[in-house]
Amino acid sequence: MYLLIIKQFIRSKAVILTTILILVLGLISIFIGNQFLVKQEKAIAEVTRHQQEHIERNVSWIDSDMGLLLYYLRFALINTPDNLTALSIGQRDVNSGIQSVTIRTLEGQKYDTDLNNPTNLQSGNLDFGFVIIYLFPLLVIAFTYDLLSEEKEKGTWRLVAIQSQSVRGYLIKKLSVRAALLYLALFVLFAIAILKLSLPINEVLMAFMALSILYLTFWLALSFWIVSLQRNSSFNLLTLLSLWVALAILLPASVNNFVANQYPVPEALSTMVKQRDGYHEKWDMEQEVTMNKFFAHYPEYQKYPLPEGNFSWLWYYAMQQMGDDESRQQSEAMRKKIMQRERASSAVALFVPTMHTQLIFHDLARSSLDDHLKFLDQTSAFHEKMRLYFYPKIFENASISDVDWKQFKPEYFADKPDINWARSMFPLLLFIIGFALWSIINLKKLKVT
Amino acid sequence: MLQATNLTKKYGDFTALNGLNLSINSGDIFCLLGANGAGKSTTINLFLNFIEPSGGQATINSMDVKQYPKETKQLLSYIPENLMLYPNLTGLENLDFFCGLGGKRYSKEQLEELLAQSGLQPDFIHQRVSSYSKGMRQKVGIALARARGAGVLLLDEPTSGLDPKASNEFSELLLDMKEKGVATLMATHDLFRAKDTGTHIGIMKEGVLIEQFKSEDVSFQDLEKLYLKHMHN
Repeated sequence: MYLLIIKQFIRSKAVILTTILILVLGLISIFIGNQFLVKQEKAIAEVTRHQQEHIERNVSWIDSDMGLLLYYLRFALINTPDNLTALSIGQRDVNSGIQSVTIRTLEGQKYDTDLNNPTNLQSGNLDFGFVIIYLFPLLVIAFTYDLLSEEKEKGTWRLVAIQSQSVRGYLIKKLSVRAALLYLALFVLFAIAILKLSLPINEVLMAFMALSILYLTFWLALSFWIVSLQRNSSFNLLTLLSLWVALAILLPASVNNFVANQYPVPEALSTMVKQRDGYHEKWDMEQEVTMNKFFAHYPEYQKYPLPEGNFSWLWYYAMQQMGDDESRQQSEAMRKKIMQRERASSAVALFVPTMHTQLIFHDLARSSLDDHLKFLDQTSAFHEKMRLYFYPKIFENASISDVDWKQFKPEYFADKPDINWARSMFPLLLFIIGFALWSIINLKKLKVT
Repeated sequence: MLQATNLTKKYGDFTALNGLNLSINSGDIFCLLGANGAGKSTTINLFLNFIEPSGGQATINSMDVKQYPKETKQLLSYIPENLMLYPNLTGLENLDFFCGLGGKRYSKEQLEELLAQSGLQPDFIHQRVSSYSKGMRQKVGIALARARGAGVLLLDEPTSGLDPKASNEFSELLLDMKEKGVATLMATHDLFRAKDTGTHIGIMKEGVLIEQFKSEDVSFQDLEKLYLKHMHN
């Protein structure tokens, strides 16, 4: 029975063509993800090599002034992408995954990003996440919109109704054949992705796959619900395409717009101004004002006397420190606002399956805004560590040759995503169960004529 | 075997079928004649339980089709005016598919034999139905009725649009099923086919069965006169 339903389905040229199309697009997306990984790996290798050369070169030029040397030296912290990031690039293409910082004011350095081609950013990435979230639903719609209406319109339904022991059962069998082909296409692409991108088979990948399956099942359930309304094919198709536009484009855009308006971030500008003023205005102030603030922050450095004269590295780095200290309030407020935006988006996304799936994909692939904020926090901690290491050496003007410069290799940040299975899967499961039950109720009154 | 008792169907103020009383026994072929809108298809749809009666009852083997939809469905086969099959499947696959829907499984050889007995040329058995003529599809329908082993056959203008040869072949298949004791209710416009194939003939007009008689009791000419008289009055 199933074999004949499969034959009846896959002998359609449209089915074969659309399946090939999604497989080709899926392959392209995997190769785009691979390119992203290769680019990242290349950049990481380059940074590692460059940092070593950069330190050696500067140390050879500036061999007696620790303060001057540290003015130039940059130390890299790398947000190592997981291989899974290739499946859902998210914000990784706009937020730099490598922070190369000096020990001077950090705030202005945190938001330095790579140069990007704006045209590429505008179109976004055709990553595997995009294929799953935006393109697979179109295939679900193409495969299922006329599940019942086609039979009525082509005249086979009366015969089915008489012959079949359970017409609902027959419709579910038809749906399951279509679902099987969709899941098969998804699994084939995942298998290729696992091999091509060397994805580790771990809980994160399992969560990514489970979410993908649930997301497709959501669209199958939604489509089946429309089918269960027992309207004609054009009504079903138009309604499903409208729902796709609403769920995939309109609602996420509206939510983003709403959240951006609800939580404006004027602190983005004021942080920048504050950190610049915090440092630059100190040139026009008495050194004592700056030093008092600096020693209040780091009482342990009070033991270093301020050298006499117009300039000293102690004063200079204290001024630089003030850039960070005086913009801290704005910086924290900005972080809080961004987190509020993120939380608001996540909360609304519980009711918008497309958004929800995308946000969870980004979380799992460590390409989310949250991951980037954690990286920025780690950058602050890394920057502070470097400062605390070098401040005493600068203030004492320690011998440059006494420092083992080879120890300063790029450091890595690799946060493990927290997998909240219930929060990730439950919203989609609820939608699926809801639409399935509603469909069954609708199909209890199955009309033949 | 097939019985309508005061069977009525109304759509709002319009009465499509008005108090039909009818009884068709095993081995009978009851031909319902009448113009379009006379209530022939409505009668068949009521026996098929595709629509609900407004009054009265339709029974198959003394079981009300409304009360026992699954049981009565098992007893009948149905061939509509234009039997539509799945164009992507062959005739044999269609037969296998529809038998499977009803829970019956046959071997490939048995299916081939059923199709051959129903007059489908062997060359076409393994061809996709998209290349079939209407007559060939109707033969698959007959093969399906045979495969189901149904005691009741409901036909809604099955020979409409068939050429005389195909129509004649179809009649022969009906007579063959009659010999096997199948009770047949056939709605048709074809007076000749009704007289030639039917054991009983009923004439319907505006939802009412105005005449019913054995086909052997009238000549073709008398049947034609009677039919035209009712249609013009």
